[in-house]
Amino acid sequence: MRLSVAAAISHGRVYRRLGFGPRGRLDLLRNLVTALVRHERIETPWARADEMRGYAERLIDYAKRGDTDERAMRMANFWLTEKDLIHKLFKVLAPRFQPHPGSYTRLLQIPNRDELDRAKMAVIELKGNPLPPLIRPRRDSEKTLLNQLLKGYREDLQRAAAP
Amino acid sequence: CRASGDGKSEKFQPPPKPVIIDKQKQRAERRFLSPEFIPPRGRTDPLKYYMERKDMIQRRKVFNIPEFYVGHVLAVTTADPYANNKSNRFVGICIQRGGKGLGATFVLRNVIEDQGVEICYELYSPRIQAIEVLKLEKRLDDNLMYLRDALPEYSTFDVNMKPVSRLDHEEVPVNELQVRMKPKPWSKRWERPKYNIKGIKFELPESKMKEAQKWSQPWLEFDMLREYDTSKIEEKIWKEVNEGLKK
Repeated sequence: MRLSVAAAISHGRVYRRLGFGPRGRLDLLRNLVTALVRHERIETPWARADEMRGYAERLIDYAKRGDTDERAMRMANFWLTEKDLIHKLFKVLAPRFQPHPGSYTRLLQIPNRDELDRAKMAVIELKGNPLPPLIRPRRDSEKTLLNQLLKGYREDLQRAAAP
Repeated sequence: CRASGDGKSEKFQPPPKPVIIDKQKQRAERRFLSPEFIPPRGRTDPLKYYMERKDMIQRRKVFNIPEFYVGHVLAVTTADPYANNKSNRFVGICIQRGGKGLGATFVLRNVIEDQGVEICYELYSPRIQAIEVLKLEKRLDDNLMYLRDALPEYSTFDVNMKPVSRLDHEEVPVNELQVRMKPKPWSKRWERPKYNIKGIKFELPESKMKEAQKWSQPWLEFDMLREYDTSKIEEKIWKEVNEGLKK
C-alpha cells in the first residue's frame, strides 16, 4: 500500500521551488523585485522571472493605493530591501501605471546562458521604461508584391478622387 | 380662532412627517453572502459553480437557511427513519463551516450526558427540515475545533434552550470569551502560530509559548500571491443571488 504521493507528481501546485525553502524563495524573489524596481530591466533565468512577475505586478497594485495606506507601506517595506526605492515606487512607478489596469511587465526569452548550465534566460522589464526598446516592430518592406499592389490601388483611388 | 396671530398671511404648515426607520432596509444594507457561494481559486470551469449556485438558490427558495456564523448555537431538525417522530433534533454550537457549493457543511458540537458529540450537517441536504438560530454570537476565531480540548463546560448547551431574541439588525455581537483548556496533550498544538487562535487562555509557561513561536512564518503575510481578493466576485454573486431569490 503506497502511503505517500510519488515525488514527481505535483497536481495543482502553483509555486515553483526556488532557493532554500519557502523563506529562501521569497528572499530570492524579493532581491529580484528590488533589482527590477531599481534598474527597470533585468536578465535572469526564465523560471525566476516568471515567479517574480506576479509579485512585481501585485506590488505595483499595492503602490497604486497610495503611500498613506498602512498596508501598502508595509508591503513595500518588506519587498524592497533598498529603502530609497520605496520613494521611487510610490512617486514614479505608481503614477506611471495609474491609467493601466494590469500587466505592467514584459517578459521576453533570450538565448540560453553561456555557462555550463545553459539555463533558459529571460529579460523582464517594466513597460514605459526610459531604456531603448528591446523589440523594434519592423514594417514590411515596400518591395513585396502585396504591398506594391496595395500601393497601386491606393494611387488609383487618389487619382479617381482628385478631379 | 387664533389668538396669537402673525401679521403675515399664515399658510397651513402640515406637521413634519414621522421618520420611520425601516428595519428591513437596514437589514438589506448589511449584506451577508453565505461563504459557500464564493467559488474557490482554481482551474475549474465557472459553469460548474454557476449551476451549483442555481440549485442552491432553488433550495433556498423552498427552505429558509438563516444567516449564521461560527460560534452560533443552532438547533437542526433532520428527517430520521428510525426515530420516534421520524425527525431528530440536535442543538449545538457551530464549530466550523466548510465546503463550497452544494456540499457546504457545518459541524455542530454539544456535550450530552458527559459525552462530547459532533455532527456534521450538509446545508443543502433535503433531509434537513428546519434550522433555527438559538443564540447569535460570533467568536474571535473562524474555527472552534479547539473546543474539543477545552473544558466541557464551554461546549455544553441546554437541549431545550429558548431562542435568545436579538432585535439589533445592525451587527452580530462578538463574544471575546477566552476558553480554558484541559491539560496537555491536545489533539492539535493549538499554541502554534499556524492556527492563529485568539480565543484560548493559554496557561502554559513562557518557555513553551516561545518555543511554539519557532514555527511562525512571518513571511507568509507578505506573500502577495496567496491573497484571494473576493470583493468583486462577491458583488456579482450577491446580485445574482438576490435576483434569483426575488423571482
